[in-house]
Amino acid sequence: MEIYSDGMKDALAGLLGKTGAKTAMLVSREGYNVVEVGDVSYFNTTALAALVAGAFSATREMARMVGEKGFSILLQQGESRHIHISLIQDLLMLVVIFSDNESIGRVRYEARKTSMILADQLAEKGTRTHLESRLEETDFGENAMNLIDRVFQT
Amino acid sequence: MSFIHYVQKEINCKIVYYGPGLGGKTTNLQYVYNTTPGHMKGRMISLATETERTLFFDFMPLEMGEIKGFKVRLHLYTVPGQVFYNASRKLILRGVDGVIFVADSQEERFDANIEAIYNLKENLAEENYDIMELPYVLQLNKRDLPSAMERDVLAKELNIKGEKVFDAIACQGVGVTETLKEASKQVLMYLRKTQLERGV
Ligand SMILES: Nc1nc2c(ncn2[C@@H]2O[C@H](COP(=O)(O)OP(=O)(O)OP(=O)(O)O)[C@@H](O)[C@H]2O)c(=O)[nH]1
Ligand SMILES: [Mg+2]
Repeated sequence: MEIYSDGMKDALAGLLGKTGAKTAMLVSREGYNVVEVGDVSYFNTTALAALVAGAFSATREMARMVGEKGFSILLQQGESRHIHISLIQDLLMLVVIFSDNESIGRVRYEARKTSMILADQLAEKGTRTHLESRLEETDFGENAMNLIDRVFQT
Repeated sequence: MSFIHYVQKEINCKIVYYGPGLGGKTTNLQYVYNTTPGHMKGRMISLATETERTLFFDFMPLEMGEIKGFKVRLHLYTVPGQVFYNASRKLILRGVDGVIFVADSQEERFDANIEAIYNLKENLAEENYDIMELPYVLQLNKRDLPSAMERDVLAKELNIKGEKVFDAIACQGVGVTETLKEASKQVLMYLRKTQLERGV
């Protein structure tokens, strides 16, 4: 499945510009990091993506248990940093990290707008393919075996 | 399902350690973490109870290096083995590319092993996975304990599709790398079969 589209980075950059947020990321349901924009130097994005996917799937199950289809937004407020997470078409999670408490409303508003832009991009995806790089099976098996032998020396 | 990021040139795959409570899943992952050089691993996350039982999951990313210019990253997870955490197990199984079943060799845990395999099959079926297709490895752990069942008997009883079987003593690191190596091979070969373009 191809869930990345070229416009995603621009959409997230736009959101950062309008909200003054520190970082924005898109995470897949499986916990993979799809796009990251802004400052990512202060945390481990791979680990955060795994936690975000876990947290979101857990809240979704909680919602189902009380008869809701799902909660669409998750907001974690800390003392100096806050995390806003919203779901895009049950496929991706938009994560926004910001530090200004005052901007919660703006983040929420812009996240909703960005989600719609991203949802449109995802809907178009069927017709688009990526030609920037390809990965063919030729030699893949042999390369993979060599890599595995190097990594796991037994 | 594995995720090939063509723009950032990354291949991401998810391997899940499954099995009965206290069987040694977290111990396996901890050993992998401890023996992996710093530049190849990200942070290990353990969502556990105060008594170290896995509550939601353990996670660590393993950066393997490159294949044909694509960075390969394995996302390793353990599930909580305790029976009543099934909701969490189902969540972790979403998008899985390969399963390592960590069995507890002790005779008194035989039923727990069987139950966990049954539970795995059921959870995979619910997510529309065919266990016969999915990369899968069986590890017989705790081979050091006096009440460990006879190896061949246990291997036969727990085998579901002629999968490879590894003996392990996870707390001493025995068999841990071998198990993960086999699972990684299967996962990358499966990815090649199901997701890559045919060469011309
Ligand atoms: N003797 C022996 N003990 C082991 C072995 N592997 C793990 N243990 C011990 O078994 C206990 C449970 O191991 P864990 O790795 O926490 O088990 P788990 O499968 O993650 O358990 P849950 O998180 O509850 O599902 C720990 O005290 C380990 O040190 C082994 O091969 N031999
Ligand atoms: Mg555990």
